[in-house]
Order: sequence, then C-alpha cells, then structure tokens
Amino acid sequence: MLKTESINFTYDGLSKFNFPDIQLNNADSLLVLGDSGVGKTTFIQILAGLLKPKSGQIHLDSVNYNELSLKEMDQFRGRRIGMIFQNPHFVRNLNIFDNLLLSLYLSKNIQDEKRVTQLLNELGLGNKLDSMPDDLSQGEQQRASIALSVIKQPDLILADEPTSSLDDVNCQRIIKLLKEQAEKNKSKLIIITHDNRIKTQFNKSITL
Amino acid sequence: MNISRLAWRNIIYNPLNTILSILLMTFGVGVISLLLLLNNQIDKQLQDNLRGIDMVIGAKGSPLQLILSSIYHIDNPTGNISYKEVEKLTKNTMVDQTIPLSYGDSYNGFRIVGTTQEYIDLYDADLSKGVLWDKSMQVVIGSTVADITNLSIGDMFCGTHGFGDDGHVHDHHHYEVVGILKQSNTTIDKLIITDTKSVWDVHNTHDHHTCEDHDHHDHHHADENHNEDIYNSEKFMITSMLVRFKSPVAFIQMPRKVNETTNLQAAMPVLEINRLTSLLGFGVQTVNLIALIIIIVSGLSIFFSLYNSLKNRRYELALIRVHGATKLQLIKLVFLEGLTISTLGTIFGLMTSRLILFSTSFMVNQQQMLNSIEYILITDELWLFSISLFIGLIASLIPAIITSKINIPKVLSNA
Repeated sequence: MLKTESINFTYDGLSKFNFPDIQLNNADSLLVLGDSGVGKTTFIQILAGLLKPKSGQIHLDSVNYNELSLKEMDQFRGRRIGMIFQNPHFVRNLNIFDNLLLSLYLSKNIQDEKRVTQLLNELGLGNKLDSMPDDLSQGEQQRASIALSVIKQPDLILADEPTSSLDDVNCQRIIKLLKEQAEKNKSKLIIITHDNRIKTQFNKSITL
Repeated sequence: MNISRLAWRNIIYNPLNTILSILLMTFGVGVISLLLLLNNQIDKQLQDNLRGIDMVIGAKGSPLQLILSSIYHIDNPTGNISYKEVEKLTKNTMVDQTIPLSYGDSYNGFRIVGTTQEYIDLYDADLSKGVLWDKSMQVVIGSTVADITNLSIGDMFCGTHGFGDDGHVHDHHHYEVVGILKQSNTTIDKLIITDTKSVWDVHNTHDHHTCEDHDHHDHHHADENHNEDIYNSEKFMITSMLVRFKSPVAFIQMPRKVNETTNLQAAMPVLEINRLTSLLGFGVQTVNLIALIIIIVSGLSIFFSLYNSLKNRRYELALIRVHGATKLQLIKLVFLEGLTISTLGTIFGLMTSRLILFSTSFMVNQQQMLNSIEYILITDELWLFSISLFIGLIASLIPAIITSKINIPKVLSNA
C-alpha cells in the first residue's frame, strides 16, 4: 500500500506546494492531473524519494521514507520503484537487451535473460533486442522505457507524462501496456499527465 | 551486465575520442620508454665493458678518446707510447694488474688487438672452438667477427693498416685463426685478438711471404729470436695500457703522477664515462620532457573526452542512479573509463618501443643489441607506468567528482 499524509514542498521558500493525501492498494492505478506549473513533476519526484518534502509522511508498504538515509533511499528506489519519463532515456551505448540487464544489475536482481526476452516480447519489442536505443521509433522507445522500469517488478510505478509526445495509436498502446504490466506485477501505478486522451481510461484520479 | 562492462562499452562506442587519447598516450609513453631502453642498453654496454679497469695510460690527447679507443674500440688511438716507460710507472705496489694493448690494424673493419691472454680473462671470454694463441701471428676471434667474416679455425688473413677498408694491406704477414670465442655481449665479440708480438712483427719486420700465397703453410711467423725480448726493448711501443689498482689511494696518486711527471696521459674510465653519459643525459632529458608533455596532453584529451561525454550523458547518469546505482558505482564507472584508456595507451607505448628497438636492431643486424633488449619492464619504466596511470587518474578525477555531485531531480525535470 502507498500512503501519503500532508506532503508539502518548497523550492527556496518561494513557491509552496501542498499535495493532496493519496492512498493506493496493490495493482491500483491513479491518474494525477493538473496544468503546467502546479508541481506534478515535483510530486512524482517526492513519491520517488528523489526530493525530500518539507513536511509530511510517505509510506510504501511497511517503509517510511523519512526513516531512510539518502543511500538507503537510493537503494530502496532502485529495487522497489520504477520510473517512466516523458522523454525516454537509455544508456546510449548499450542495446535494449543490455539496458534491461543493467537495470536488473543496478537493482540487485538476478540478471534473468529469459525474463528480459519474454518481457520485450510482451511489449512488442521481440525483434529489437539488439537495437541501440537511438535506432528505435518514439513509440518503441516509450515501450522500451516501460520494460526498463517494470523488469525489476517494482512495487510502485511512477510515470511522468508518458504519452504526451506520442500519437493516438501509440498513446493507447502505452496505457494498455502500462496497466497490464502493473496488474501482472501487482504494482501500484501512478500516472501524471495533462493528456486528455487517457483521462477516461482510469477510474481513480486527482487534480492538483 | 555490470559497471566494468558498461565502462568498456562506453569506451568502444566512442572510438574517435578513445583512439585519440590512446594514441597520444602510446606516443608519449613509447618515446620515453624507447629512450629509457636505449639509455639502459648504452649504460649496460658501457658498464659491462669496464671490467674493473681503473685507469688507462696512453699517448697525450683527449682522455675520452683514449677511453673510447682502448676500452670500447670505437675511436682512433691517441698515439703510441713506449712500453718501457709505462712499465716503469706501473711497477708499483698500488697496481694490481696491467694489460698492454697494441692496435691500429683491422680486418674487414674488425680491429686487430695485440695484447696478452690476460685480456681474454678480463672479459671472462670462453673459447667455443680452437685454442688460445701460443705464438706470434696466431689470433683468436670474437663471435661477431666469426659470424660476419666467416673465418674459421686454420684460416689465414692479412690485416689492413688503419680501421677503414682503404688502408694499406700488410700483405707480407698472415694471421692464422686458432680460436673462436663464445659470444659474451661485450666489446670483445668484435675484436680479433692476438699476441702483442704479432702487431710488433707486422710493423717491424719484413719477411717475404705474400698474402695471396695461400698454399704456403710452412712460413715461419716471425723471427722469434728477434722478438724474444720485445718487452725489454727500448723501441717497443704499445698503444695503451689498461691498469687495475690494488688500493684506492692509487685513484688519487697515479693519474696525477702520470699526467704531471711524464709525457703520457692517464684517463679514468669511470670519470670519462660519467662525463659522456651526463652529456647524453642532457639530450635524453630534453626528449623525455617533450614526451612527458605528450603524456600530459593525452591526460588532457582523456579529461576532455570524459568531460564531454559526461555532459552529453548527464541524463543517462541520472537515469542509472534512479535505477539504483550508488554514487560510488558512478565514480567507479568514470574512473574505469579513464584508467582503461590510459592503461591501454601505456601498454601499447611500452610494446611499441620494444617493437621499434627489435625491428631496428634486426634490420641493422646488430645481434649484440638484439640479445640485450629488455622485454620485461626495466625499473625506470615502472615509474613511467605509474606516472601515466596517475595522469589517467587525475584526468578522471574531475569528471568523477562532477558525476558524483549530479543533481538527479534537476536533471530529470530539465530533460
């Protein structure tokens, strides 16, 4: 279960963000909506433990973020949280297959090559195993970045505007795949977006 | 997949930068290593041939010339001296051993040296074939001489006056090869060694056999009665005298005595060789400095290429951190990239210098040089290795620090 309590955050004390409390069970998904500048990305980075909130509590399953040191938070994130960004990024000098293996290595998981192949097949990238990231189309890149974050079977998947640069067909495909993968791994899924095309596909949403 | 493999991929997927950095490192290390090896070889040759000779007495002239001609046989003699006069000086309790040298003739460019058999002992030279001479006009030849001239036991030849090919041929006098020495990697390999009497005979007697007269085997070498007592003859001249001291006091007293009270010259090999190597050393140091600058430039090139690639890979590095990489792993990644390049450059450099040395000595057919190439690292090269690695380390340091301080949320939100 993911649970947040009265999180607020400030950059240099100038603009202050107060975030609503959320509660999410395993395999639940949540859409976070809002216009530019309301702190959507800040919220997701706080949930990822990349930014420390000024006050408030975050619990992911039994772990309280406030009780983790910086290093412990890094390791915790590596193992338990998968992130997907608006513009997918990869390790440029590794092919897609090796990028996934690296993700497993860094999150201290077993480098199970069979599972990597299987996942890439599921995401329709079965013939792109040896491709370098720069050689993929935008839709393929976004699918590969889903693979990169779900290969370690995280408890929480955080997606920051995953569809905003995609066409309609790819947009629908990405959302479908994200939901499938989250359900399969019993992961909690949070998608931040201002993309109206996907609003209808989630029954739980909050607006910042 | 792990950090080392990732570092390796980053290196090979950036071939132009990598090759430039490695080439610069190879070049710098190669030049220094080549100089170190050559220096080492020259030093070794110089030292190997000293053989505990403390002083050389010869005719007045350049002391360095006297040393070069008498010990290394690479310069012309300074002139002749009277054996009697030298003997007077060296019949002294401070003197341990004296060996007279008479030279001035050559055969096919190889010097014919008249001396005593103690000279062979001085170089610990062993015979590979034949025997040592027991009378005048018999010679023992060094291994290089045997290889190149194809002379073998029983062969006869005539010496040429001087060391070039165009000198006067002493065609009334045949030398006979009676022994061939094993290779010793010293100057003796390139000498034709005979008794002092032979040189005396060639220059002071006349007999009537011609060199072309190869069938003539019953010739008598020289008038033995005439030469029986050459060491006591006032007219007996030698070229120089190698001297070994018994007591250290002699180092101070003997040269002064010779130089101040006689027409002769005493030269101290150790002093002259030090003078020579310090002269060479200056040139070597200049080239070393230039090569060191090349290594530093290579370090800079490693620095720039790491720095640049990190700037381009900021998002990638943040991503790796998000996936769970620790700061230490990122630092390790950067250092591995820098150190791999500098290590490869250094190893290639050390290999290149050996390859150059090997191929040049092979091409000029310098067997002696070929045999003395050090294929393992010499001490100075361990320093060179450490310095290059250190430079690689320094070059990686700043990029590593920048990497470890990367602000992940900021990088991710600016993407």
